[in-house]
Amino acid sequence: MTDLAFSASPIPVRPDICEAHRLTWERLARPGSWWNGAERVAIARAVRESPRCGLCAARRRALSPLAAEGVHDGEGVLPEAALEVVHQVVNDPGRLSRTWFEKVMATGLGEERYVETLGVVVAVVSIDAFCRGLGVPPHPLPEPLPGEPSRYRPPGARPGVGWVPMIPASAARGAESDLYPGRGAANVIRALSLVPDAVRSLRELSAAHYVPVEEVVDPRAGRALGRAEMELLAGRVSALNECFY
Amino acid sequence: MTAGEKAGPVGIDHATELVRFAEAVVVGDDEELDAAREALLDAVGPEAFVDAAAVVGNFQRMVRIADGTGIPLDASLELLTGDLRGDLGIGRFGSAANTPEVGWIRRTAGRALRPIAFAVLRRLGRRS
Repeated sequence: MTDLAFSASPIPVRPDICEAHRLTWERLARPGSWWNGAERVAIARAVRESPRCGLCAARRRALSPLAAEGVHDGEGVLPEAALEVVHQVVNDPGRLSRTWFEKVMATGLGEERYVETLGVVVAVVSIDAFCRGLGVPPHPLPEPLPGEPSRYRPPGARPGVGWVPMIPASAARGAESDLYPGRGAANVIRALSLVPDAVRSLRELSAAHYVPVEEVVDPRAGRALGRAEMELLAGRVSALNECFY
Repeated sequence: MTAGEKAGPVGIDHATELVRFAEAVVVGDDEELDAAREALLDAVGPEAFVDAAAVVGNFQRMVRIADGTGIPLDASLELLTGDLRGDLGIGRFGSAANTPEVGWIRRTAGRALRPIAFAVLRRLGRRS
């Protein structure tokens, strides 16, 4: 197993953060719902390579990201549409649009693969940002495990408020009954529910990096850092990414 | 703005160091990040510093989930924050297109309801 113990960090890291990262890395290496382990790890590698992509640099300079055509820099494990998703979500999330999403869907990638790709991307972005903040190198990527994806599509998923189908709180039953603890679920928690394990990963990582999902509405929920300070950071990061939500 | 050693420009403890750190992680170069990290560590200590790095990491993820799935604001938040969003000017962000614009009636209603909603939230927090 990859060493994620932050041995290089001069600053002690909470055990629950170490554990959440370890679980995320284990999940990353395993076959998912729509990608196998090698493809999932290739998505993670693409996340790390994307800041050096020439096409992405040209797009950032363009008035619209759709104006710059070309091919993303990267290895050949992933289809070009998946690379497009990885690079655009990492490098220019504030200019993602329904038009862009529909263009990606027209390639045949499929909404399930799209959601799983997004789930892997955001987990790696989150953990790498933490390591960067702490001043330690990013965790080495895990060795992929063999096996085929489950191709599991949750029966409760249906079109709703966003671009992709989601499981409403009222339909989170059976195998998905654990997805949304507490009262209801915010759109951002349900957003990845077409791939239920992506929501489980989100909850594990959120509980360690922020506060447990079910405590988000409790203004007293905080850590050594107070809640107001946490929300200031959240607001600034959101604004820098030009995120309206 | 509150005066005092711990207060920053928005009345939140160590706001200057926190904002500088968040900006350095998201868009800063390595040199600026080193300086921002040291300043925040000095200000809040190692335990809260780790919390801060974790929160920045968390929201680097949440913004990409929201913008990558095209979700709108949740109905309650949309109602309660219409005027605040207008004041902040975040309607210019591209992802604002995912949330329908709020009319003046809902904006006024949201402003009136907000103190009640916050009081309910505080009460729920005390109960749990």
